[in-house]
Amino acid sequence: MTRAPLRRAATAAAAGTAALSLAACGAFGGGTGTDESAAGDGVITFWHYYGDPHGVPLEAALAQYTEETGVEVEPRFIPFEDFSRTLQQQAAAGGLPDIALINAYETGQLAGAGIIEDLSAYADEWGQQDAYYEAGWETGQVDGATYGIPHLADDYALYYNEDALAEAGVEVPTTWDEMEAAAAAVADSGAASYGLAMSGIEGAEGATGILLRTLAAGGDLAGFGGEAGVAALESIQRMTASGGLSEGFLTWNEDDAMAAFTNGEAAMAINSASAVTVVRENAPDLAWNVAPLPADATEATFLSAENLAIGAGSGDADAAWDLIEWLQQPSVLEEYLPERNKLPARSDVPGAVTDPVRAVFADQLVNAWAPTGETALHSTEALTIVQQALQAVVSGSATAEEAAAEAQAAIDEAMGR
Amino acid sequence: MAVAVPPRADAPPRPVPTGRGRGRARRLLAPLLFTAPAVLFVGATVVYPLLYSVLQSFFDIGLREVVQGGAQWVGLDNYADQFARPRFWDSFGVSVVYTVASVALTFAIGLGLALLLRRPFRGRDVLRALILVAWVLPTVVSANVWRWLLDGSYGLLNAMLRALGLIDGDLFWLGRPGAAVAAVVFATAWSFAPFAMILLAAGLEGIPKRLYEAARIDGASPWRQFRHITLPQLRPVSLAALLLVFIYTFKNFDTIFLMTAGGPGGATATLPVYAYNEAFEFSRFDTASVATTVLMIVPIALSLFYFRALRKERDA
Repeated sequence: MTRAPLRRAATAAAAGTAALSLAACGAFGGGTGTDESAAGDGVITFWHYYGDPHGVPLEAALAQYTEETGVEVEPRFIPFEDFSRTLQQQAAAGGLPDIALINAYETGQLAGAGIIEDLSAYADEWGQQDAYYEAGWETGQVDGATYGIPHLADDYALYYNEDALAEAGVEVPTTWDEMEAAAAAVADSGAASYGLAMSGIEGAEGATGILLRTLAAGGDLAGFGGEAGVAALESIQRMTASGGLSEGFLTWNEDDAMAAFTNGEAAMAINSASAVTVVRENAPDLAWNVAPLPADATEATFLSAENLAIGAGSGDADAAWDLIEWLQQPSVLEEYLPERNKLPARSDVPGAVTDPVRAVFADQLVNAWAPTGETALHSTEALTIVQQALQAVVSGSATAEEAAAEAQAAIDEAMGR
Repeated sequence: MAVAVPPRADAPPRPVPTGRGRGRARRLLAPLLFTAPAVLFVGATVVYPLLYSVLQSFFDIGLREVVQGGAQWVGLDNYADQFARPRFWDSFGVSVVYTVASVALTFAIGLGLALLLRRPFRGRDVLRALILVAWVLPTVVSANVWRWLLDGSYGLLNAMLRALGLIDGDLFWLGRPGAAVAAVVFATAWSFAPFAMILLAAGLEGIPKRLYEAARIDGASPWRQFRHITLPQLRPVSLAALLLVFIYTFKNFDTIFLMTAGGPGGATATLPVYAYNEAFEFSRFDTASVATTVLMIVPIALSLFYFRALRKERDA
């Protein structure tokens, strides 16, 4: 979900060429949808979107697999922005990999388009689904069949600057009411320019904050227009009005919000565990810590997840499944995840989270919400709609009720209800 | 495209063909062979995707159809669907406002620069080269620089305004609908103005000096000279410049996508941004094709109008 400005630049450049190559696929004729190693050459092609440095531990794990089993694995890195498009193009051109590491919320879409295989038979025989956090496992389910196996997980928590909160004389907020008061107090005291920083930029990325607030109020994405959504919009409106949250968060992506936190401009920030390393590297002298997200009607966080899937028509499906099983062994995860800076998707890997800061994120995984089923299929559009409601309310062009109702109508239409 | 080159007087005599029929065939075949690579290239990279994209707008195409084929013909349903959507027309409206404002500003700045650089002065060539940098600079660079300049907290613009005491606290230019539109218009005009400048400067060179001499003798003020000589004489070049800048701006995607991603609240979501979201964010390739087809029709219509006007002027 994170999309840095430079990556957005790459998207802009790629969009044009993608339009051309997609056009060449042949939507009107019969597609092929076969695999580049359909014959089953015994070499497992593995596509992922981990650029440096994240790809290093993954490729090390794959190399270890080859060492242990003698099965050759060919990893290939494709940038996140191009990943889905490349899969789509290759599906039409007959060049799918044996294994693709995909954004969990795209599982349904890719399964529906016939790009990835039904893994139910393998998964049933394996029988380890109870070891997984439910929300994460559900992201791999499409119409009762298993299409994706959770690879790892991440979720959102509250980063806070200990000095700034102390200077403003406030405690770490545990409820959203406390958050509103604390954010305003920080801004008033001058301990930092703003109390809270989060992304609110145009598009799905900027909807994370408002979605988290809505989840805490007891709502969710598909029913955003209900009372919880209205309460969430009003809560954020109060924070921008008090100066606790900068009006500029509507122009910030997640990296911008984190930059505001690391340079001391914002006393608190909402982000995922993957930002821990960034803060440690960029602000070694900052006194900071992490707390669970504030609660309201419920405690909730948003799950950011990835799934392992097998490309449609793979000739090495059995061997590919063996690799997926191997990668998900607790002993392998304990070694791999700390290096990868992420959390386990299953609850039986205590050794994977030894860092106390990351443990805060891991402890929240049981409360993690993720879009599933029909909501997952349309989550990008629904999140885009929710961000627009947020923008309308913060800029004062609509009341929370109006914006929520309009968003609900748009979400219903997107989901074809 | 085949242009017959008349034989030059000093050209060596052509080899005499051994047979009449073979010679004619070769004469007919040669131009075709020479143009074939260009025709094939343009056909494969421009005509085919273009027609394909237009064709897509008459089918029901989601991700599944792109991968597996079997798209259903739906006639004009996609057009009916899009034309009934306020969001589509919002984007169209944003596109028109953005394009007209950008073209006007680009033309004004371009003309101003062309006039300024018309008279020789020390450092003129250096200045001209520097101005051209704005045009040559990749949009990825310029759009992000604009984003930083206009940032509410640490942007240069606000730092200056604060120093002058004009604003107090943070002002997020790209977070407000009106200001965001103005910002993308300005950024676009900034990068296209040097291009307009080059065209207009060439046009200025072509105005006969004697017209100005005659006007000066008659005692015309500089303003009257500009109004009654420069502008009318510059008309053909101006029209061409306006048309070209219009086409560039109307289809411009990267500046806006990088600066605002179409925000805030869709205030800068032009048709290209709309089409991008439809196709690559929401996987609705059919309705995206409706938007791109409209994107194509408008400049084509304007171009036809321009060429007709040009022919009329020439015939008159």
